[in-house]
Amino acid sequence: MAEANPETEVLLNHQTPAMGWIGEHSPRRLWRAVFREERFFLVLSVFIGIFSGLAVVCFRFAIDWARLYLLGTGAVLTPQRLLLAPTLAGLVIAVLVIHLFPATRGSGVNQTKAAVYIYNGYIPFRTAIGKFITAALAIGSGHSLGPEDPSLQIGASLASVLGRKMRLSRDRMRLIAPVGAAAGLAAAFNAPISAVLFVIEEVIGRWTAGILGSVVASAVSSVVVMRWFLGSESMFRIPAVELRRPSELLAYAVLGIVGGFASVVFASGISTFRPICKALPRWTQYFQPAIAGLFIGIIAVMGAPQVMGAGYEFIDQAMHGQFTWQFLAILAGLKILATLLSFVSGTPGGMFAPTLFIGAMLGASVGGVQHFFFPHLTGSAGTYALVGMGVLFAGFLRVPMTSVFMVLEVSGNYSIVVPVIVANTFAYVIARGLQPVPIFDVLTRQDGLDLPSMEELREEDILRVEDAMQPPDGIVLEAQQSLEKALEEVDRSRGEDLLVRLTPSGWSTVTKEHLRSMAAAGKRAARVGDLLLVPHIAFLHPDHPLETALRYVDRWPIVPVVSRVDYRKLEGIVSKRDVLDRYREFGEG
Amino acid sequence: MAEIQDANQASQKLFNLHLYLRQRPVMLGLLSALAVMFFLIVTGLSNIFYAQRQALGDRWFHRGVSDLEAKRYQAAVTNFRSALLYSRDDSNYQLNLAEALLGANQTAQAYAYLLNLWDREPENGQVNLELARIEAAKGQPQRAIRYYHDAVYAVWPNQQEPERVTARLELVDLLLRLNAKAQAQAELIALQQSVGEDPAEQVRLGELFVRSGDYERGLAAYRVAVKADQHNPRALAGAGEAAFMLAQYPLAEQYLEGAAEANPNDKTSDERLKTTEMVLKMDPYRSILSVDERSHVVMRAFAIAGQRLTKCGVPNDAMSGEGTKPSLGDRWTAMKPQITLAQLSRQPELADKAMDLIFRIEKQTNTFCETPTGPDMALLLIAKLHEGN
Repeated sequence: MAEANPETEVLLNHQTPAMGWIGEHSPRRLWRAVFREERFFLVLSVFIGIFSGLAVVCFRFAIDWARLYLLGTGAVLTPQRLLLAPTLAGLVIAVLVIHLFPATRGSGVNQTKAAVYIYNGYIPFRTAIGKFITAALAIGSGHSLGPEDPSLQIGASLASVLGRKMRLSRDRMRLIAPVGAAAGLAAAFNAPISAVLFVIEEVIGRWTAGILGSVVASAVSSVVVMRWFLGSESMFRIPAVELRRPSELLAYAVLGIVGGFASVVFASGISTFRPICKALPRWTQYFQPAIAGLFIGIIAVMGAPQVMGAGYEFIDQAMHGQFTWQFLAILAGLKILATLLSFVSGTPGGMFAPTLFIGAMLGASVGGVQHFFFPHLTGSAGTYALVGMGVLFAGFLRVPMTSVFMVLEVSGNYSIVVPVIVANTFAYVIARGLQPVPIFDVLTRQDGLDLPSMEELREEDILRVEDAMQPPDGIVLEAQQSLEKALEEVDRSRGEDLLVRLTPSGWSTVTKEHLRSMAAAGKRAARVGDLLLVPHIAFLHPDHPLETALRYVDRWPIVPVVSRVDYRKLEGIVSKRDVLDRYREFGEG
Repeated sequence: MAEIQDANQASQKLFNLHLYLRQRPVMLGLLSALAVMFFLIVTGLSNIFYAQRQALGDRWFHRGVSDLEAKRYQAAVTNFRSALLYSRDDSNYQLNLAEALLGANQTAQAYAYLLNLWDREPENGQVNLELARIEAAKGQPQRAIRYYHDAVYAVWPNQQEPERVTARLELVDLLLRLNAKAQAQAELIALQQSVGEDPAEQVRLGELFVRSGDYERGLAAYRVAVKADQHNPRALAGAGEAAFMLAQYPLAEQYLEGAAEANPNDKTSDERLKTTEMVLKMDPYRSILSVDERSHVVMRAFAIAGQRLTKCGVPNDAMSGEGTKPSLGDRWTAMKPQITLAQLSRQPELADKAMDLIFRIEKQTNTFCETPTGPDMALLLIAKLHEGN
C-alpha cells in the first residue's frame, strides 16, 4: 500500500532483505529497539508521570500544611488570621518572585507553551521549585488561586529536566514539556482524560500520533501515583443526576448564557487590570500580592471566607444544596473579584480552581432561581453546579472539549453530557463573540510573547490536495504495455513527464525522453514496467492536507492523486508549481 | 611520570564511568532507583500528613460531641464542620453535624446533610430515623413512614434491636397521629416480638395498643409489666383502662384500685374507678343480687333515667323511639306507676322491660344531649355491656 507517509517511503525505497522471525526478534535487536528514541521517549514519559505525580502529591501536602499553619485548623477562622495570613504571605511571595523565581508569576500554562514554541522545551528546574514554594504559600494562605496550573508547570519543568539529562533530541525536547504538563495536570485534577485533552487543546494545539501515546502514558502514570497516596475518589461527591424531560435543556441553556457573560466579565477584568498592575512602578510589585491578600482577607472577615484558597470543599457544599441561591450568587461575584485581585497582582497560582468555583456557585445559583420560578424542574443544585463548572471552563478558558470531559470525569455520570454540551455551547459562543481573544492568548500577548493561538489554529482553514490538483489530462501508461505501443501514445501527451500504472497496484513516473532513448537502444518490445528508472513513487489522496504534498512534489515532477476506493483510479495530479500557486492564492486571501 | 600515568588512568576511568552512566539503559536504571527513593520519601510524608489530619479531625470531633451533649448546638456545628475538613466522608462526623444542626434549628441544612448521607448509605438506620423525624415534622407523613420503615429494617452500628424498637415506636406514634390505626396495630404486633420483658417497654407498648384500639393486646402488655412490678402505677392504670374498655369491670376495678393506691394523684384512674364501681353497683343483672336488691337497683336506675330525660330537655318527638310508637318520655311516664318494689317483686319481666326502657333512654340522650357523667355514664356502659342479651 503506497500511502504517502514516511514509513511507507522507507518500505518503498529501501528494500528490506528477507529476515527470519528469530533474526528480527533477537534479544539484542529488541534491546536496541527499546532504546530507540521514540520508544525511549515513551518509557521516559512513564517516569515523567511518576515524578510529576509524586511532586503533585507533595504540592498538595504543602498547600494543606501552609493552610493549617497560616490560617488555622478550624472551619471558623479568626479575623486576625484571615487578614494577616494572606497579607504577610503576599509580602514573602513578592520577595521570592522578584528576587529568586521570576518565572513563577501567573498560572504556568503560558510558560509551558512558551517552552514548546520558543525555548525548545527548556524550563529551568528552579521554576519547579519556585512554583512549588510560592504557589503553596499563596494558596495555603488564602489567595484565591488554584493548584492545577502550577501542577501543570511543575510537571512540565520536571519533564524538561529529565529530557535534558537523558539528552533527548531537539524535536523530542520540544514535546517533552506537554508530556510533563499533562502528568502534572492529571495528578492535580485526578482526571487523566481531561488533562490529556487540555494539553492537546491548549498547549500542543493538534492531535499528533507521535506525542499522544506519551501524553497519555504520563497522565495515566501520574494519576496512578496520585491515587496511591491521595485515594481514588473523585474530586467532588456528585449527587445523582437525572434529566427527565428534554424541555429542561432550556434551563441549562439559560445557565450557559449567564455563564458566558460571567466568563466575559472575568476575562475582561483580568485583561484590563493585569497590564495596569504590571505598569506600576517596580517597587509596588513588592506590595501588590500583599494588598491583594489584604482585600481577600477583608472579604473573608466580612462573611465570605469561602473565597479563600482553591475552595473545593465549598464547591462540594454548594453541590449538596447547603447554600441559598442568593448567597451562591454573592460568592460567585466575590470569587471573581478575589481571583482578579490575586491574579493581576502577579501572585503565582492557577485559575482552574477559581473558574470551577465561580462556575459551580453560578450554576447552583441559577438553578436555585429557576427552581423558585419553575418548581417542577428536576435538576438538583448539584446538577446545576456541575454544569456551571463546565460552562465557565468553556467560556473563560475556552477549552470546549476539555470542559465536557472534565465534567464527565469529575461526575462519573454520563447522563449529564447533554446538558453540559448545550450549556457549554452557549457559553462558548457568547464568550467568543464578546471577547474574541482567549484569555491565555491575551496573557501571552501582554507578556510580549507571540505564541500560536490554539483556538485560531483549530479554526484555521486547511488546504487540501484537492484544492491544488489538476485534472489528469495527460495519458497514463500501463506497466504491462510494450514500449512500442506506449510510444504510439506518448505524443498525445503535452507534458514531458508521464505516469505509469503498475500491476497489481502502485504508480511510477517516466519521461518521454527516457522512453525514446530506450526505443533507440532497441528495446521496443520490452514492457514499460521493466524500463522504469524509479520503481515506485508515492501517491496522494484528494483529502490529504496540502502540506503532505509538499514532501513529494520536490522529488517527482508530478505526483498522482488517486481515489481511496480504487488506488488504480487516477483523480488528478499535483506538481510543485500547483502547490505553490495554491499557497500563494491562499496567502493573498 | 608514574603519577601522571596514574592520574591519566584515573581520568580515563572517570571518563569511562561517565560514558557508562550516559548510556540509556543505565540512565533508566538510575531513574528507577530515584523513583523508588522518592516514592519512599513521599510515603513517609504521606503517613505524617494523614496522621496529623486524623488527629485534628478527632480533636474537633470530640469537642463537637462534648458540645452536643451539653446542648451547645452552634458550637457543636462549628466543631463538627472543622472535623469534616479532615475527613469529609466520615459518616459519623456528618451524622453528628446533622444532629447538631437539628439542635440549632438549622433543619434545612441538616436535611441536606442527611440526604447526602442517605445517598451514600441508604441502609444507615440512624440517617433514616433522623430523616423520618424531619419529614414528620415537615408534615410529609408518607415520606416519614418510608424512612421509618427503612430505619426499622436498616443496619445499626451497635445494638441493633433497641434502635429498631425506637424507630418502630416512633412510626406507630406517627401512624396513630394520622389515625391509621390498622397500620399502627400491624406495626405494634411486629414490635411485640422485639420487645422483651422490660416493664417500661411493655407499658409503652400497652399504651400504644390502647391508643390504636387493640385493648386486648394492650391489657396483655400491661399485665406483663404488672407481673414484674405489682405497684407500677402506670402499668396498673393502663391495665385498668384497657380492662375498662373491654368492659371487664371487675378486673378494671381491681387494677384501678391498685393504681389509685400506687399513685393517689392519678385523677384519671380515680375517675375511672368511680365509674367502674358505679357500673358494678348499678348493674341489675349481677348474679349475686337477691330479688329485692335487684328491684331496688332497677327503681334507682329508672329514677336516674327519668331525671336524665328531664334534664336533657329534648322535645318528645325528637326521641320518639321507633316508628309510630309513643315517645320515650311518654313510655317512661306510663311505666313509672308500675315501678314499685311490690310490682317488681311480683313481675320479674317488668324489671327487664324497665331496664330496656332505661337503656333506650340513656342511649338516645347520649346521642342528643351532652356526654353523660356519673350514674348516667354507668347506665350507658351497662347498656352496652348487655347489648344483644
